[in-house]
Amino acid sequence: MNVKEGKLEEMSPLYAYEEGMPWNPVEKIIMERRSIRGFRSDPLPDAMIERILEAGRFAPSAGNMQPWRFIVVKSREMLAEMEKDAVKVIKFFMFFMDYTKGNFLRRIVAKIYAKIFIRFLPNELQPVPFGLMSQIAQGQTPVFHNAPTLLLLVEDRRGVSCPPMDIGICGQNIVLAAHSLGAGSCWIGLIKVLMYLPKWRKKFGIKYPYRLEVCIALGWQKPKADGMVPRETQIVEWYDKGLNDAPQMKKQGE
Amino acid sequence: MKIKYSIFDRFRIPAYDKSSQMQTGDLIFDPEKCNGCGTCVQICPGGCLLTETTTKVDILSGKAKGGKYGVPHVVQMKKGATLCIACFDCGTACPRGAISIKHNFNPGYHFKRLTQTSDMRYPKRG
Repeated sequence: MNVKEGKLEEMSPLYAYEEGMPWNPVEKIIMERRSIRGFRSDPLPDAMIERILEAGRFAPSAGNMQPWRFIVVKSREMLAEMEKDAVKVIKFFMFFMDYTKGNFLRRIVAKIYAKIFIRFLPNELQPVPFGLMSQIAQGQTPVFHNAPTLLLLVEDRRGVSCPPMDIGICGQNIVLAAHSLGAGSCWIGLIKVLMYLPKWRKKFGIKYPYRLEVCIALGWQKPKADGMVPRETQIVEWYDKGLNDAPQMKKQGE
Repeated sequence: MKIKYSIFDRFRIPAYDKSSQMQTGDLIFDPEKCNGCGTCVQICPGGCLLTETTTKVDILSGKAKGGKYGVPHVVQMKKGATLCIACFDCGTACPRGAISIKHNFNPGYHFKRLTQTSDMRYPKRG
């Protein structure tokens, strides 16, 4: 299936279901949304950013607590400074930790304690972010993708139940709204590294009860990269018989 | 379902650069369809696509100009693993449909993915 051709296909109406019917507009946006990492240098108009933020404001949250605070960063100087500082922090960490590059000695010695660090921070140092940070430290890729606007999703830790989840829901609303309006967006978790620097914590007012873990880059897509991709099929258990029967295994997506 | 994740798996951290412990995405570039526009190199999340003449940073900073960069390839580390996470952003952005993908990204041991299978499928309308 070529997605570029799919752009012209007709869409199903909303609020109706028939088996095998074409995607409706909402599904189409969900399926075709990609994380966009190439942006034009001109930012989105302010009115459009406000409209995108409305989608976030109306996201569901546990107990309707809305445990979020939005910060929009459009200042070019500030974005450049953030990029510079993030690269600095990542370079500092990767100087000690990166055992995948460099000479023979580094490959052996760094590997021993890198694996200990990985045990303590398994999510932050999972192979994917580790590889990305290694590339950033080598100067192979930027942190914030030269985006003209960053939208920081600050979490209020006093929310009901699980505030990070509410941030995720709110952010996904924002991302889908942005794509449906023709903009591009990308979730960036590496903003975390700026929180090691008191300068940025102070600037954005990140102290109790707030916490900053994620931001979203917004802008016009430069190479248009929205489109469907193949994903791994997933094994799903269906408990559809008696209480003691084994579940039925279905491959989702096949 | 019986999820196979043993104590051994749980405590062993894989070597991130070894292809025997990390299954990384496998991209196939069709040199006949590719016109060397560099779009995939520019949008690769980790900057792990290169061509003979250019890298992601060169294109972003405007250092590389001209628009004919040659067929890209994935950067490989010394012990065989690549940094490709099989997101396939390159494939969607490719104007010629010259890129295809063979299998998914699946790190070993501690980070093993348990219910995802290696078949890659487009979204299916049920």
